[in-house]
Amino acid sequence: MSMVVPTAQPSDEALAARAAAGDDSAFEAIVGRYQARVYRLACRLTNDTDAPDVLQETFLQVYRHLSSFRGESQFGTWLYRIATNAALMHRRASSRRPVESLEAFLPRFDDQGKHAATPAELQVASCADERLDRRLLAEKARDGIARLPDLYREAFVLRDLEEMSTADVAHALGVELATVRQRVHRARLMLRGYLSALVGVKP
Amino acid sequence: MNELACISGVELLMDYLEGALPANVHAALDEHVAGCARCAAFVASYRATPRILREATAVTLPAELERSLQAFLRARTTAFKSS
Repeated sequence: MSMVVPTAQPSDEALAARAAAGDDSAFEAIVGRYQARVYRLACRLTNDTDAPDVLQETFLQVYRHLSSFRGESQFGTWLYRIATNAALMHRRASSRRPVESLEAFLPRFDDQGKHAATPAELQVASCADERLDRRLLAEKARDGIARLPDLYREAFVLRDLEEMSTADVAHALGVELATVRQRVHRARLMLRGYLSALVGVKP
Repeated sequence: MNELACISGVELLMDYLEGALPANVHAALDEHVAGCARCAAFVASYRATPRILREATAVTLPAELERSLQAFLRARTTAFKSS
């Protein structure tokens, strides 16, 4: 009976050092490791049409700047920062029609600062995925995220959709922890109300 | 300290869920949510929102795009090295 001895995968940082020294196979390994995640991030930050360009641009920038990676953050955080900037540059460069703000979906309160909606109305966003057709929800989810202000979208996508830690998002975006929390919070409030409205209930 | 208004609780919600609030404020919010059906429902939907949107926007990299990315990078990195 033959046994396969598992070999340890090289760390991102080890691959980055080899790629920076001119080892193309190490760079290809980095691409293979991150391409699906960068594509998903690009779709969430831009759209299906622009995501392929963002994907290419990200890895080209990674290649060009490998020698400037100093290991001050994890390699993945550094790469996500490049991808996020590439997506933002792409959004700025492409002519987009103005989108309607999500402000209308923020929670409503009465004069005493109490929720204006009933508990059942407030709960309903939790069941949006059970109440809506999957394909419709996917389309509306992309629309809703695209309607967030850029700064909120970046923070929300990295923190809540890519599930990075708040500290890593702060590092990737170059802002304070409290700023990340504030942006993610506002995005969650808007999108929670947006999901309620999709199900047909006031936020 | 259940005189905390829902609106104040909502403002603190992200910090509350991240454990970033001072202990006494966190405890006051716990108490408020335990006694306020509206806030309990709001917190549940606030927590569910990221998961629902994460699942709804999950995509996989098309094989054709993977191949075109490899071809693009091979061509550009070769050009970069020889420049």
